[in-house]
Amino acid sequence: MGSSEKRSKDAMSDIPTFSGENLQKNLKVIQNSRTFLSIIAGVLAGISGFTGLTGFVFYFVVMLITSVGLIAKAGFSADLYFDSWNRVLFDGFLGGLMSFVLFWTFAYDLVHIF
Amino acid sequence: MNLGFVIGVLGVLILSHAAYSTIQYRGLLKITEEEFTGPPLNVVVELIVGLALCMWAALTFPGKFLSIHPDSDENRAVSLPDNSDFMIFNHRGRLFPPEITMKF
Repeated sequence: MGSSEKRSKDAMSDIPTFSGENLQKNLKVIQNSRTFLSIIAGVLAGISGFTGLTGFVFYFVVMLITSVGLIAKAGFSADLYFDSWNRVLFDGFLGGLMSFVLFWTFAYDLVHIF
Repeated sequence: MNLGFVIGVLGVLILSHAAYSTIQYRGLLKITEEEFTGPPLNVVVELIVGLALCMWAALTFPGKFLSIHPDSDENRAVSLPDNSDFMIFNHRGRLFPPEITMKF
């Protein structure tokens, strides 16, 4: 029997319930996508030889493109899969920054210094 | 899931080939004693292609989005083939007028 935990946002008013388990799965999907793309962006920045501010600008550009891609994947309607737009757009934005810097310095050393 | 994984691996392979080309290019620059201003054009094209492939793989490989509405068709709490052994119909509800349309 399929089971999905119901969690109501507010018991007093008339807001419909949503399935918390599916929301968690969707957030995990977003987090995996962003982490993978942070690593790829880091490798790319290292190969291209970006140093300093240019690299961080490149990271934010890649994250913006990721946001657009995720919104397109959700079919431009966040209500069907998430409880607010902020989750799709800004969740995990800064979490990938550290992975980005790690792989950026790694690739830069690999290509330009050794 | 399989196609996204293959495309992701392909993107990573293209990126590593671009890295190797850049290493060779830098070796060439050391010989001719020029400055490194940017990777050569074919490496830039490879990087863009690799980025596009990895972006496609990152959006399709981790899985689909699941609907969070409890009323949608894929969130049924009860499905008929699993539960038909336990459904009984000889209860007090038979006295109610049938005004609700049930989905089966």
